[in-house]
Amino acid sequence: MTFINYVAREINCKIVYYGPGLGGKTTNLKYVYDITNPENKGKLISLATETERTLFFDFLPLDLGQIRGFSTRFHLYTVPGQVFYDASRKLILKGADGIVFVADSQEERLDANLESVSNLQQNLKEQGFELARMPYVLQLNKRDLPNTMPADHLKKLLLVKGEPVFEAVATKGAGVLETLKAIARQVLIELRKSA
Amino acid sequence: MSASQIALSESDFQRIKSVLRAMQQELDSELVLLIHRSGQQIASDGPAVDLDLTSLSSLSAASLAATDGLAQIVGEKEFSVLFQQGRRRSIHISSLDNQFCLVLLFGERVSPGLVRWKVKKASGGLAQMLQEHQRKTGSGDSNSRMFTDDEIEKLFGQ
Repeated sequence: MTFINYVAREINCKIVYYGPGLGGKTTNLKYVYDITNPENKGKLISLATETERTLFFDFLPLDLGQIRGFSTRFHLYTVPGQVFYDASRKLILKGADGIVFVADSQEERLDANLESVSNLQQNLKEQGFELARMPYVLQLNKRDLPNTMPADHLKKLLLVKGEPVFEAVATKGAGVLETLKAIARQVLIELRKSA
Repeated sequence: MSASQIALSESDFQRIKSVLRAMQQELDSELVLLIHRSGQQIASDGPAVDLDLTSLSSLSAASLAATDGLAQIVGEKEFSVLFQQGRRRSIHISSLDNQFCLVLLFGERVSPGLVRWKVKKASGGLAQMLQEHQRKTGSGDSNSRMFTDDEIEKLFGQ
């Protein structure tokens, strides 16, 4: 849900990072947090287990700067990727303005990627939304690992609607900001369409 | 299509603020915070507005959503109130019109029962105001959302 406050001159948007467990969603947020100036970010909240698996969500509020005198505030959320946390994923998806799918490029995670994309579509449908009509970006993460699938092959299998695709190594920050900028750009363009 | 939008004009914002302020003063609460169920902060009032309201909003919405999930598992439509009692401060989170939540932060001098009663009493008016706002179309200045491609690109160059 985009919230526009004409008094405070703020545009607030919600972006959700979705994808299979251990795919690098939290790592994306941690990298963004680490490289952002303190005045442009809030606290990074991680509701995780003691082994650092996301239990409920991670949350990072980010100020991307001003446009037409409005501060653009993006609230970044991750969902827990593990299959059995579906109820939590549905809660976090509520009110999302844009979605980043973080795919794990390793061959043995292909089924987990496919299951997660399907789960995303199903959960959005339950809330009355279609992925094909929402701002959406695909990130192929872990491109530095030896057992990754060729990017073109992975794209063929995971693309939903010709969305922008970014190859990434989130642990090193490669592709992380490009992904974030692409989804933020789409959300703002969507907001313009509704003006 | 974006999930949904709320655009608050100055007059809408001031009306909501005045209701929150009245509630804050009547209960002598430290904070009254109105948030959307998606975790976005809408408006707030009270001496504790210096707290990290962005995080508080996100976590309150998530807590209430999780509580709703619990309700459904045990066959209830919703648990509309969530109350966390601390030694010095307590938090009362209540559902408002299925789309919003009201968060009250109050100290040990205020009785939780009184908070529950007053919130219930004031919530009806606030919910009605929010419903009226949502029925209105074209609130705010849509011209300010007509960003050009250049303006969007410039944002990412900052």
